[in-house]
Order: sequence, then structure tokens, then C-alpha cells
Amino acid sequence: MKLNRQTRSALFAMLGYTAALQLMLSAAILYWPAFRENTGALKVLAGPIPMLKDMIVQLEDKGSVAYVLSQHFFKGCNVLGVAAATLFAVGAVAGEAHRGTLEIFLMRPVTRRRLLTERFVSGALQVIVPIFLTTLTIPLLLARVDEVGSLGRYLLAGVHQSLFLLCLYALAFFLSTMGRTPLKLAFGVLIFAIFNFSMYMVKTVTHYSLFRLADIQTFLDVYEKGPNWGLWAIFAGTIALLFGASLFVFERRVP
Amino acid sequence: MDIETSTSLAIEAHGLSRSFGDVRAVDGIDLAVASGSVTGVLGPNGSGKSTFLRLLIGLVRPDGGSATIAGAKLRGDGVAVRKRVTFAPGEIALYGELSAAEQLEWLLRGRSHKALLHAHAVADRLGLPMAKRVHEFSHGMKRQLLFAAAMGPDVSVRILDEPTEGLDPAKRSCVLELIAEEAARGTTILLSSHHLSEVEQVCDRLVFFFKGKLLADEDPAELRRLAAKSARFEYATEAAATAAAALLKTAPAVANVHQDRHVLRLELDGVANPLALLEGLTASLQDLEPPVNLELGRLSLTDLYERVYGVRGL
Repeated sequence: MKLNRQTRSALFAMLGYTAALQLMLSAAILYWPAFRENTGALKVLAGPIPMLKDMIVQLEDKGSVAYVLSQHFFKGCNVLGVAAATLFAVGAVAGEAHRGTLEIFLMRPVTRRRLLTERFVSGALQVIVPIFLTTLTIPLLLARVDEVGSLGRYLLAGVHQSLFLLCLYALAFFLSTMGRTPLKLAFGVLIFAIFNFSMYMVKTVTHYSLFRLADIQTFLDVYEKGPNWGLWAIFAGTIALLFGASLFVFERRVP
Repeated sequence: MDIETSTSLAIEAHGLSRSFGDVRAVDGIDLAVASGSVTGVLGPNGSGKSTFLRLLIGLVRPDGGSATIAGAKLRGDGVAVRKRVTFAPGEIALYGELSAAEQLEWLLRGRSHKALLHAHAVADRLGLPMAKRVHEFSHGMKRQLLFAAAMGPDVSVRILDEPTEGLDPAKRSCVLELIAEEAARGTTILLSSHHLSEVEQVCDRLVFFFKGKLLADEDPAELRRLAAKSARFEYATEAAATAAAALLKTAPAVANVHQDRHVLRLELDGVANPLALLEGLTASLQDLEPPVNLELGRLSLTDLYERVYGVRGL
């Protein structure tokens, strides 16, 4: 199958994001024995930041499972995933408007619903496929440091992470259907995400942060107790609502 | 049901309107285009012709009115129309990272393989280097690539927004020739331009837009008759034009002289041999500063709007 340059460039972006996630995950797991040795010292160092100290206590109590969940999902996917979700979404429509190609994008004999759905799905796959690909390597990496873990449960955590990121992706995508400058949109969404992450680290306002929905405790709950169906339904509803709003706007958009 | 049985009219628009904020870009256009005809949509920049064409293929939703194109009613996002009609946009923006061949394939997504082959044949005839990336293409080459894509599919109606704009004379002739060949096959063509002399060569009907409204509907033959009675003298200075105007006003067979700074527009009356008349006129001006440019038998869109429709300051 011959891929055109646009598809190849999307695949390269996804591969880059996968490689970065994999590097972070591999380094973190291989560092686990040293981390375990030094949790006491790390707790002292994290003393001035109560939220950080709480995290280290959690890691100390729950061992490698909490450590992997924190390193791969809470740190790796939340940071890189948010950036990827934003960047893959903002160009979907605003990118076309910015480069002036929205008219040729819309003039082919294809419904706008289909055009937008294809864009949404391909971007969403770019965001979540790397999460699952890298999660699949966790048991192999854990074996290198004489630890074990349930792949199925890590994959459930991956589902939770994907739904959380897709909410942000759907928000950025919706803004893209209305906007003309992807860079401005990306800045706006990333500042919103960074602000939420900062709030998470402040004990008095941490409960208002969106990252409470994708923190170590949440991932531990999914790992230990199984899917959080209520929260997953809210995530899925938010994604559907934002996609529906995107469709409504896009159907009426003037090139 | 989006599709209706076809009639002898390829395009029917009733009260088609669209506003952008306070600006009424298209204001209640009624237009019926017969199957197999070539209709030119003319007007100055901002007259609403491009918006009208975009309305017809569903790129822009109308605020009011209705339209049926190639038997398909304009509804929703207009996909039923776009399946039966091709469009070459006036705005030129393509994916620079693609090769011309890839871009053509991308533009013809949803069309048959035969359409792609035909579009390649048109591109070859225009001499486009299909292996080159689009970012290496000039503005005119990009326009030709969009034109080739619009000529590819086997449809009964083609809508072309300024297909010759920015092309060199040779390519312009080639595009007009391809349009004429397509018309000879019975395809309905609606094309826009703001160059009267170009479209009157291939069109059998001309409609004129101004401020979103349909100002006039003309037979090109009538305009050619009108053009034959027109002359334009361009001088280096306004003073030279004024001096010439004083003489020309008294010349025989000159019905009217209109001066616009250093340009004189003459309306000739009852001219049997315009060239001989022109020679006579230039001879009578031999003591004055000669014109830097002289045209006979050509009517610009500005001239037409000013002289015939009374619209000034275009």
C-alpha cells in the first residue's frame, strides 16, 4: 500500500510520540531498584511539597505497581499525552483554515460529517495507540528488574488514561473547528492544562484540578478494583458531546 | 430525497442569498442556466460572484432561497450537488508537501479512477510537471492543477471560479480552448471572471453581478457590437488627454468622449470601417502629443459598467 506524504508524516509524528513514551517508561522501570532504595531520602527531599510527599508515600506503600502507574501514566502519558492530544487536534480544521486549504478540503464529494469523523478518529488513534503500545511492554520491562505486574490491569489503566486524554483532545478539536490559528489554540489548551497541573500540586486547591481524574490514586483504583464505569461514562459523554458540537460547527463553517 | 429528475435547466437558483455580518454578499439571485450552455459570471472584485458559485456547490450555506444544480437540490452540506458537479475554486491554496500527482489524486477523492486519468490527460495538455512537489509550482500552475481536477470527472455541470486568472496568454488560450471543447461535448459550464474580453470568447451568455445583485444578463454578440464602437486613447499626461479630447469631440462619427484623467474613452457612432476611422482620428491629432496606447473594439468591464450600467468608480 502506497501512503501519501501526509499519512506518512502523521505516522512519523505518532512514532515519535511512541518512542518518547517508551524511552521514559524504560528508563523509569530500569531505575526502579535505585528508586526503591532511596524512597526514605526522597520523602525528606519532597517534604516542602505535601502533594509530592504523599505521592512518594503511596509509591512506598504500593511498590512497583504504584511506581509504574505514576511514571507511565501520571507522569509520562499525562505530560506527553496532553501535548500530543493538543497538537494532533488543533490542526484538524484550524490548520486547514490557516494554510488556506479549507476550501479544497470541503469541495470534494464527501459529506462534512465524514470528513470530520475521519479527522477526529485518525487524530484520536494517534493519541491513544502509543499509550497501548508502550503499556504492552511493561511486563517485559518489569521482568528485567525482577518484578511482576498484570498486563490486563495495566491495559485497563491505559483505557482510563486514553479516555481522559481524549476529553482534552475533543476539547482542542472542538476549538479547532471554530478557529483559524492552530498555534494560538495550542497555546490556549496547553496553558489550561499546565494551570490544572499546577493546581494539582497545591494541596488547598488540588480538588479543583482535572488531573485528580488521572492521578496515581485513580490509576491504582482502576488497577486494583477494575473499571470506574461511572467516570468512564462521564469521559465518554464529554467526548461525544464535544464531537457533536464540533460537527454542528463544522457543518456550518465557511471556508 | 436529495435528487430530483433532471430538466432542461442545468442550474436553477431562486432568491439565493447570503450575508456575512452586515454585508449582503449575495442578495436574492434568480438565475436559470440551460443545459449545455456556457455562462460567464462577471463582476468587479467583491461583487458576490465567487460567493454565489460557492453557494451553488454547498461550500457556503445560503441564508435564503433555493437552488437545483444538475438535478440535485441544494440541501445540507451540498454533497448531493458536489457528486454531480465539479468546481475549480478561485482561491489558490494547495498542499505544498504533496507532488502534483498526489495532489490531483487527493482532489479527486470520491471520484472514479477514470476521472483521475482524464484529469492527468488535461494536466499533460497544460504541460504541468506532475512529479514536482506543489510548493515548487507557481500561482498559475496551481490554478491549472485545480482546473485539471475540475475537468476530470464525467459530470454534466462544471463551475469554474476565475479559471484563467494569473495565467500567461498561452496557458490562458489553452484553458479557454479546453473549456470550449468541453462545451462542445454538451457540458454546462458556469465560469466567473473579471475580464470581459476573455469570457466573451467562450460564453454564449454573460451575467453581470454588482454588490451581490444580478445587474444584467447579456448576449455576448451584443457586447461585441458595443465593443466595436469603442476606442480608448491613453496619454502620458492629463494635459495631453485634455487637448486631444477637445479635438476629438468635434470629429465626425465620435458620439461621445469621456475623459478619466489621462485616458479618453470614445463612443463611436455609425462606424462602417472602424480602422479607417481610427486612422483618420489619429491623423487629425498629429499636431498633438501622440497617445501612449490606443485600443479599438475592446470593452473593459469598467467601461461596460460605466457606460452601459451607469456604475462608476470600479
